[in-house]
Amino acid sequence: MAARRLLVNSGHDVNGVLAGLVAELAAQGGLAAPQAYRLRLAADEITTNIACHGYRGAPGVIDLGGYAAHGRVWLSIEDDAPPFDPRGHHPDPRLSAEPPLRAAGGLGLHLALTVVDEFGYEHVRGRNRNTLVLHRERGGHRGATNDGGNDERYDRATRR
Amino acid sequence: MSVPPDFQAKLDVDDGTATVWLSGELDSRSAAVLDELVTRAVEQRVRRIVLLAGELTYLSSAGLRCLVFAHQKLGRTGDIVLVGARPEVAETIRLTGFDRAIVMQSRAEP
Repeated sequence: MAARRLLVNSGHDVNGVLAGLVAELAAQGGLAAPQAYRLRLAADEITTNIACHGYRGAPGVIDLGGYAAHGRVWLSIEDDAPPFDPRGHHPDPRLSAEPPLRAAGGLGLHLALTVVDEFGYEHVRGRNRNTLVLHRERGGHRGATNDGGNDERYDRATRR
Repeated sequence: MSVPPDFQAKLDVDDGTATVWLSGELDSRSAAVLDELVTRAVEQRVRRIVLLAGELTYLSSAGLRCLVFAHQKLGRTGDIVLVGARPEVAETIRLTGFDRAIVMQSRAEP
């Protein structure tokens, strides 16, 4: 099991450490580049949320632990901030409103909850534990490709 | 918080259009750099901001908020054009619905 301790709001390169751990887990689990990207994005958003809102910008600890097995990669993110279940703060209805976005808040949690295959939360021994899971094979997931881009993708993505 | 070592952003303003070339990772560490460029562009009363994103390798919600910020600064009559975004970056934008507020192009158009 790979593990790292992040000291957030302390001037440390949290993003760099996180990216390194995700790259390590993605390699162990055989994740394709788009899946590794999603795992990093989700982990980035969750840890950023913990640092900004859980610890309210004050120094704090976030413990990362991950492993790969049976075609899946797990990453747990634990912190000592007040209990917070991201699943209860999914802004889907607001994001589906007509653009421009009324507010940019909630984008990070929305992304984190959306890009992973499984998302778990529990409060154990006084800590928040978020668990992110990516499956190795996810053909056709959400339309992303790893072919360097094509016009079809932009047809989907371009303003309608 | 230090800017990612590989992040670069350059601004060029010409005839009402601001062109911003982006490279590297746009996240919570680098967002302030782009916000600053957007502010400078809007101060020059541009009507259009073109973001050349082909070399943008990562976009988090903090980076996405820069685009929302730019959109809000330009107002309803301005355009944000994102050119050449990589699949994962384009997906991140699309998942938030912000692709409906901007123009996304595979390559630059006149």
